Amino acid sequence: MTKYLLTRLRQSLITLFLVSVVVFAGIRALPGDPALALAGEERSPEALAAVRESYGLDDNVVVQYGRFIGHALTGDLGTSSRTGLPVADAIGQALPVTLELAALSLLLAIVVGIGAGVVAAVRRGRPEEWIANAIALIGLSIPTFWLGIVLVLGFAIAVPVFAASGYVPFGTDPVDNLRRMVLPAIVLGSGLAAVVMRQTRAAMLDSLSADYVRTARAKGLSQSSVVGGHALRNSLVTVVTVLGLQLGHLISGAVVTEQIFVLPGFGKLTIDAVFTRDYATLQAVVLCTSAAYILINLLVDVVYSVIDPRIRLGGAR
Amino acid sequence: MTDDRSVRDGGTLTVALNSDPDKLDPTLAQTLVGRTVFAGMCEKLYDIDEDGTVVPQLAASLPDTSADGRTVTFRVRPGAKFSDGTALDAEAVVTSLLRHRDLPGSARGTELAPVRKAEATGPLTVRLTLDHAYVPLTGVLADRAGMVMSPTALKKYGKNFTNHPSCVGPFRFVERVGGDRIVLKKDPNYYDADRVHLDGVVYKPIPDGNVRLANLRSGDLQVGDQMAPVDVRSALTEPKLQLFNSPSLGYQGIGLNVGNVKGLGEQPGKIDTPIARDVRVREAFELAIDRELLNKVVFQGMYEPACGPISPQSAIAPGIRPQDCPRRDVDRAKELLEEAGVRTPVKIELKTSTTPEQGRVGQVLQAMVKEAGFELSLRPTEYATMLAETDAGDYDVFTSGWSGRLDPDGNVSNFLKTAGAMNAYGLGDPEIDKLIAEGRSVADPARRTEIYDRLTRRVQDAHALIYLYRQKNYVVAGKDVAGLHVYGDGLIRVKNAGYTR
Repeated sequence: MTKYLLTRLRQSLITLFLVSVVVFAGIRALPGDPALALAGEERSPEALAAVRESYGLDDNVVVQYGRFIGHALTGDLGTSSRTGLPVADAIGQALPVTLELAALSLLLAIVVGIGAGVVAAVRRGRPEEWIANAIALIGLSIPTFWLGIVLVLGFAIAVPVFAASGYVPFGTDPVDNLRRMVLPAIVLGSGLAAVVMRQTRAAMLDSLSADYVRTARAKGLSQSSVVGGHALRNSLVTVVTVLGLQLGHLISGAVVTEQIFVLPGFGKLTIDAVFTRDYATLQAVVLCTSAAYILINLLVDVVYSVIDPRIRLGGAR
Repeated sequence: MTDDRSVRDGGTLTVALNSDPDKLDPTLAQTLVGRTVFAGMCEKLYDIDEDGTVVPQLAASLPDTSADGRTVTFRVRPGAKFSDGTALDAEAVVTSLLRHRDLPGSARGTELAPVRKAEATGPLTVRLTLDHAYVPLTGVLADRAGMVMSPTALKKYGKNFTNHPSCVGPFRFVERVGGDRIVLKKDPNYYDADRVHLDGVVYKPIPDGNVRLANLRSGDLQVGDQMAPVDVRSALTEPKLQLFNSPSLGYQGIGLNVGNVKGLGEQPGKIDTPIARDVRVREAFELAIDRELLNKVVFQGMYEPACGPISPQSAIAPGIRPQDCPRRDVDRAKELLEEAGVRTPVKIELKTSTTPEQGRVGQVLQAMVKEAGFELSLRPTEYATMLAETDAGDYDVFTSGWSGRLDPDGNVSNFLKTAGAMNAYGLGDPEIDKLIAEGRSVADPARRTEIYDRLTRRVQDAHALIYLYRQKNYVVAGKDVAGLHVYGDGLIRVKNAGYTR
């Protein structure tokens, strides 16, 4: 197990390094000078030159990369060229928002998706399956932006149960926090819930027709024990795989969701940084997101090996 | 536009901005939206009133200018304090002015370049010595260059002042969460604190117009800045919302590349395209455009047609009103193309920004000029990229706009002067250069009006920058909010705002 973990960890670090190079080069390949993006309509040559100089944009790209990595390793992510605020602060403020949004969406996707998937498999050929399938199809097809606006119109304006925008930390006011986070979580989680539902249903159908389930039934076990203890447990490997793969979607989907609900998370930070060519912020954000991605994949692998020891043995060989 | 219903004390106002401001340091700040935040916390030596007239704010009176225009004296308001408790005096004003002029990276450097010396000649008297007569100075001091920063805070924080701004203003800076909010609260040190009703103001950047409107409807926001005509139309059907507007001092139009071969600030060169070669082709292009119709189709008639750099709103406005703009004349346009001997259709590429509105402007222009013999192709280009490309001269035509300045000079000199800092058109005309210089040095308003009138006509004849329309500043606010002031500079003034009783 330890050897397996170390191998995976080493691979992750190499990936992270490669990502940092690609991100750094990619951002600099974008057309448009950050000084110009910052100055906008008022661009005196002196001010532009001073901005370039103060952020070291005139230096050789290799020098810039070395400086970036050197600072990043010591925890210094630089200063935003737009606001003059430390990037680490901006990330520190944005991270909890996106994590909470992702966690809530994931929770929603797991509860609704697995629940509906199990129901659809167990009640195969009945109206319940039909309804679950239809909802999943809708969940997959609705564009995030549209769903967001509709939910705001419905549940924040017409019937003001939830708030249309903004973020209040859970620690400050849990009720207000949930009032603001429920709609975004639904928007972000709906697509994922649909995917999870379909995967659960498919895996459950396989399991339910397998020999061991027939044996379990023959032994006289209750329906709940057969479904929950035998069929579902064996279906979960597939579902966890899908969840792991889809977590990436949560992070990228957060970009749109955060725009609609004006949540000051990673997605919003990224978009703002792209449009203002805020190199320092953009690099840091993409690097952190990549690190999160890699970490999630690592965790998924670990969870696999816990659910199904055969995977661990295969990886260690 | 103002709303003077009486208000009660207390409450916090949340104002939505259309983007996140840049640095909250008046010396370094460059964005329009940042000025709105400054309006809540950093007063200036001068301000404008509802009619666009310059009035004293932190200065005690309008400046005295010597006969040769090279010495300017003014007094500073007595008894005012910065948010950190430091007293406002002439020394503080001098410190700020010199920092604006000299700090590396200052966005105010060009505006204040003619100021050779700034000195405190008394506790509350400031004397400026100029290199040459510089009439736009008062207008400049009614913008960020006139903002006075606490010398104590400047000393303590230096370049990091942006994270701890301290000025004289109705509200003081509390915190900023990048991309999310800027929080101000009422400043008890403010000289006019008795007339400030709100406990605080929160500015929130919300770039999407739909989202801004949804939040105004739900009551999560009380004020929405820079609303687009289409959103304004739908806000008007909402009984809980009210609308403020003010004409803008700026302009929107299209810039034609007539000589930008080496980039900004360089001498114009020769470009071998029909529109750059022959002024008749450019005139034909302009004659093919119907400004009224453009305004109607794209902006629901909520903006104003324009054909010159200076808004009729400006105190020194030349006599070219929107209704005097050249009319569309397709037959004449065709004749001009024939006289110029160009092969039709004349192929031109228009770079527009990626906003839906600019896209529609492009499409409407495309349809209009087609009838005269132009084949206009559109290239929507992301903002920073477009600036880089057009500054470098890599374009035929692009959408070019300016938010406008109080003094007409701020709308012409950098754009139209040969090798000017923002002359992306590559325009080089000694007559225009001469008129710009005259406009800056002549003090008599009547004569200035005459000069800018001549300048406008000369610019129209060059057809290098075709002015199309002037935006209006639309601000949507909840009906329960009163005391907001929205003037020609487009800023929302929250000093006297509050919730109705």
